[in-house]
Amino acid sequence: MVKCPFCGTPQVANTIFCSECGVYLLDDERKRTDILNLHDLDLDKDDGGKAQAEALRKGSGPLAVRLKIGESHRVVEATLTKAVHLGRLDPISDVFPEIDLTDDSALEKGVSRRHARILKKDGVVVVEDLGSINGTFVNGKRLAPYLPEVLNNNDQLQLGNLLVEVQMR
Amino acid sequence: MGFLTQTAESDKPSAFNLNVQISHQHLAVGKDEQAFYILVSVTPTDSLPLLRLPLNLCLVLDQSTSMQGMRMQQVKEGARQIVEQITTEDSLGVVVFSDKANVLLPCRKKIDKSRTKTAINSIQSGGGTELFQGLVAGLKEIEPNRSQQSVNHLILLTDGQTYGDEISCLDKSKWAGQNQISLTTLGIGADWNENLLDQMAAISGGTSAYIDTPTKIVEVLKATMKSISSVVARELTISLDLKSGVYLKESFQMTPYIYRLGGSSSRILLGPLTAEVSKTVLMEFRIRPETSPMKKDLLELKVEGDIPNRANHRHWETVTVSAEFAPKASVGSAIPSVIVTALGKLAIFQMQEKAMADLENGKIAEATQRLENMATRLLNIGETELARAALLEAGRLARSGHLSAEGRKKIRYGTRSLSILPKEINRG
Repeated sequence: MVKCPFCGTPQVANTIFCSECGVYLLDDERKRTDILNLHDLDLDKDDGGKAQAEALRKGSGPLAVRLKIGESHRVVEATLTKAVHLGRLDPISDVFPEIDLTDDSALEKGVSRRHARILKKDGVVVVEDLGSINGTFVNGKRLAPYLPEVLNNNDQLQLGNLLVEVQMR
Repeated sequence: MGFLTQTAESDKPSAFNLNVQISHQHLAVGKDEQAFYILVSVTPTDSLPLLRLPLNLCLVLDQSTSMQGMRMQQVKEGARQIVEQITTEDSLGVVVFSDKANVLLPCRKKIDKSRTKTAINSIQSGGGTELFQGLVAGLKEIEPNRSQQSVNHLILLTDGQTYGDEISCLDKSKWAGQNQISLTTLGIGADWNENLLDQMAAISGGTSAYIDTPTKIVEVLKATMKSISSVVARELTISLDLKSGVYLKESFQMTPYIYRLGGSSSRILLGPLTAEVSKTVLMEFRIRPETSPMKKDLLELKVEGDIPNRANHRHWETVTVSAEFAPKASVGSAIPSVIVTALGKLAIFQMQEKAMADLENGKIAEATQRLENMATRLLNIGETELARAALLEAGRLARSGHLSAEGRKKIRYGTRSLSILPKEINRG
């Protein structure tokens, strides 16, 4: 038996979340994001809002976004019916990003648990930095936290030192 | 050490892929009972050419007074778009109902599309909502054309409460499921019985949905049409052969949306598998303690499905799950992140279930507390809109002792959709 530290309900051994209050019961060590010296990743620095205009012209905009992540180039597709969070899974701090980057060496590359989110606003896909330690970059330009920035097809997204290629579907 | 042993039929190409993840490779030796989780996902095989099965479809539309205006307009538009997608192989029928049911168009093949649309345009609203009448009339239309080679389906759309015929509706839905007819039940607005509609869909192997504003009607009907047009396997079931000392505590469907699965452990029904979404099931087990180190088989899991248009219909795959009992010190705690994520979302869904149960038993204070806790968790994971709905309802509950019908549905259908996750296209 284990006891939930939050509400005191007894739980069977190995239980992962409290059945009463939903709190995470395992005590992993917290994995904090370290501040990094970011390498210059030498990105293409073009753009001019062309794709944004195109998205607007198309009306409802893309339905999903496809992300090619890091050196492994694994590809993940997320529908844009709601916001898609990127970061590192950490149940202790209640962080459950839809796209968990833990296996993409996210910790080493300075990705925060709650790093950024991608969502559709008025038919346009935007990315928003969620106050991450090492920042979110679109084509090499660092975003101001919580200020949405338009994301275009084939944009280079960078979370800390982790590169992500973006494709609209 | 392999803890999962997977065997599939060897003589046939696989129709679906089975991916099984377990929470613990090692279990601690001791005197305590332990929890153990298994996440099963069933995905259609990419290589399988997608055959669109002929549809045997009946639309059952609520024409009660409350449907008047925007709702009816949108339903007609959605229905017309469905008509456009009907092929010559399909049969389509339309039933409307209020206090009684009326067969607008009998179910048949090779429909005249423009005449069908004209008939749909002529639907007038008026009267009450007698769900059972509509359901019976719709099923009667589907039955004569019912076959193993077609998708037999009924789409029921309503915006009102039905009174006194709930049990008959459930019985009839169960009968439909047993006769390979699945139901999609769609509720518009706030004033309909979500328990009834969800159950009707589930026991027939279909799905339900909440449509909060009329502007979403067309979209939902389109999505329903897409999903029934891409059925890859039917009557998907999981059967478990539990070894001694192993018990199934509960099981949930996680995707396409969270749903508590009933039925006995020997046969868990999952309904049809479509090309678009995989079916994921999370099972929680209890394991009796073992006092000495050993390797032990815990259970055998079998996933079966009916593959239409195959000479030999039945397809199955089995997996044997075993674990190593070891002294506590050597037991690591690396739980696969997919299981942690799934359980995290499930925990929130279960808080909702518990809040509703408390409410039903008159425990207002407890229910309020749960909704508030839930709101905090939702805020933490970034679900601000849903968190706001939960907080609003917690406040309302504390003041008035009731939830709003709309808030109740928002929370119910919002929490069950928490498990929607991005699709992995390839891994490196």
